[in-house]
Amino acid sequence: MLPKIARGVHALSIILILMFLLAPVILVFPISFSADAYVAWPPSAWSARWYVALLHNEEMVTAFRNSLLIAACVTVITLVVAMPAAVALTRWSFRGQDALISLFTAPLLLPSIVLGLAILVIFAGYGLVSSWPGVVIAHLVITLPYALRVLMTGLGTMPSFVEDAAGTLGAAPWQVFRQITLPLMTPALVASAALAFIVSFDEVVISLFIAGTQLKLLPVSLYHYVESWTDPLVAAVSALLVLGTLGIVLIVERAIGLGKAVSK
Amino acid sequence: MYLEVESLEKRYGHLAPSVADLSFSLGQGELLGLLGPSGCGKTTTLRMISGLVQATSGKIKVGGQDVTRLPTYRRNMGVMFQSYALFPHMTIAENVAFGLQMRKIRKQDIAKRVASALAMVRLEGVADRKPRELSGGQQQRVALARALVVEPDILLLDEPLSNLDAKLRDNMRNEIREIQQRLRMTTVFVTHDQTEAMAICDRIVVMNRGKLEQIGTPLDIYERPATPMVAEFVGRINRLDGQWRNDGAIAVGDSLVRANASGGAGRVLIMIRPHRIDLEAAGEASVGSPEANVVVGTIRHINYVGDTLQYAVATAAGLLQVEKATSSATDPFQPGDSVTLRWKTRDTLTFSSEATG
Repeated sequence: MLPKIARGVHALSIILILMFLLAPVILVFPISFSADAYVAWPPSAWSARWYVALLHNEEMVTAFRNSLLIAACVTVITLVVAMPAAVALTRWSFRGQDALISLFTAPLLLPSIVLGLAILVIFAGYGLVSSWPGVVIAHLVITLPYALRVLMTGLGTMPSFVEDAAGTLGAAPWQVFRQITLPLMTPALVASAALAFIVSFDEVVISLFIAGTQLKLLPVSLYHYVESWTDPLVAAVSALLVLGTLGIVLIVERAIGLGKAVSK
Repeated sequence: MYLEVESLEKRYGHLAPSVADLSFSLGQGELLGLLGPSGCGKTTTLRMISGLVQATSGKIKVGGQDVTRLPTYRRNMGVMFQSYALFPHMTIAENVAFGLQMRKIRKQDIAKRVASALAMVRLEGVADRKPRELSGGQQQRVALARALVVEPDILLLDEPLSNLDAKLRDNMRNEIREIQQRLRMTTVFVTHDQTEAMAICDRIVVMNRGKLEQIGTPLDIYERPATPMVAEFVGRINRLDGQWRNDGAIAVGDSLVRANASGGAGRVLIMIRPHRIDLEAAGEASVGSPEANVVVGTIRHINYVGDTLQYAVATAAGLLQVEKATSSATDPFQPGDSVTLRWKTRDTLTFSSEATG
């Protein structure tokens, strides 16, 4: 009898915790379909008017497009830079290796407001503020450590000696990389690409500092919008963001699942 | 000689060398074992031969050609790794085909050679599976097929049997030997298991602390160990300290022992294998002959391990381990029994004392 009650309490507490965590996210969806002119619960009527309004809101559409482009650029550059760095840091051994790893992953530990301010101070002198390259570089500061971590873990957990084995079978170093290392790293590559994309797309604090007023980015525009308006338009944007993020997470989940199936 | 290793040395930083002044050579088609305790440098030696580790100094020659500075992928050596190191993202057929693709062999020929390599290790029918779907023994056969299909100049085996269970290990050992002899493949076989090495190797290099202790046939290694380390590593052995006397006998404890080795002076280490000592009940004993040592003693301990009985016998020479095959015809001795121990003088191995380490 008692174990049954205990199990019931256990299940109930899990449900409560999940509700606590997910309620705000889930609530965004019904609110985004509200017909009201302000955010209220429950909505007095349902409609898709805020999605239509979103499509006609030029700033939001531009910001969405800009953020998408920036995130895509950041993702590509992140992989191009982090991949060789991860290989060098895990496969070679040289002086100061551990110090370099710590240095490269340090930005993860700094509050982003500190990073944002520091980058702003430096960028102001070079005219990089409110420019595309400026925002891309600023985002790289936080996406690179994530990607480096994930890729280094991916390389570190590779089944031992498979690269050596390929070498003994006549594969030159670039063939080993192309035919063995790269395919075995695909899950880690997908995961770090998704992370870089989400982090760049969602970044508010650093973007607030660097994007300025000319270059519209979605999180920043959303932030400013909420400051002056209280209509369900933000709920519509949020709903789209949640869906987009969910899609990316599913891709990663598939890739990692795939990775588990592939490794040993 | 087909594979020649000359004064090979490997150092990491300022540490004591992992391998030092190592020289040996193999004839074509020979199977040479590298035997030693873990950390003795045998795997490092194998990796230097394959090119996965750069030698600090010394030479490696294959067929007279110096390959010491050649990168791994240009050495044409087949390596089988302890962990098998199969490519997890490729099928069995793709794994075996990999080396042939690197050699730019034509597609039809690759298919043919992969099929015959898999047939050789009796693995037909798994070509389209992934390595993780195979048992350890099967993965090992794939690794062997993958190493051999490229027709390497030399086959290098790094502890190939240590991940298999005991029964499978014996079968696989004989199978490797059989294939090696059929292909007349010059092979270096790294192992820490002396039985394994004795069973299939033509010659054995015993290594310890990065150095060569002895090179010879299994018989040489077992019957005429060059150093106490070799004698102790390749089987159970009694170890006693003695003193040479002027008449050529050795004083051990309160008794005298004779060896075939010509006499010397000063301290001497003597070793006797437990199963080379005969046991008789005291009283039956005849007197000693010039070819045999005779010592009396008392049984102290008995270990019954099924096929053998291990006795610890207290004698005037010290405590001696004696090993007898069990037999249904005679009852074992009991603790406290008085016994006579007898062994041939040529079974007394002697080592000058400075070699004891």
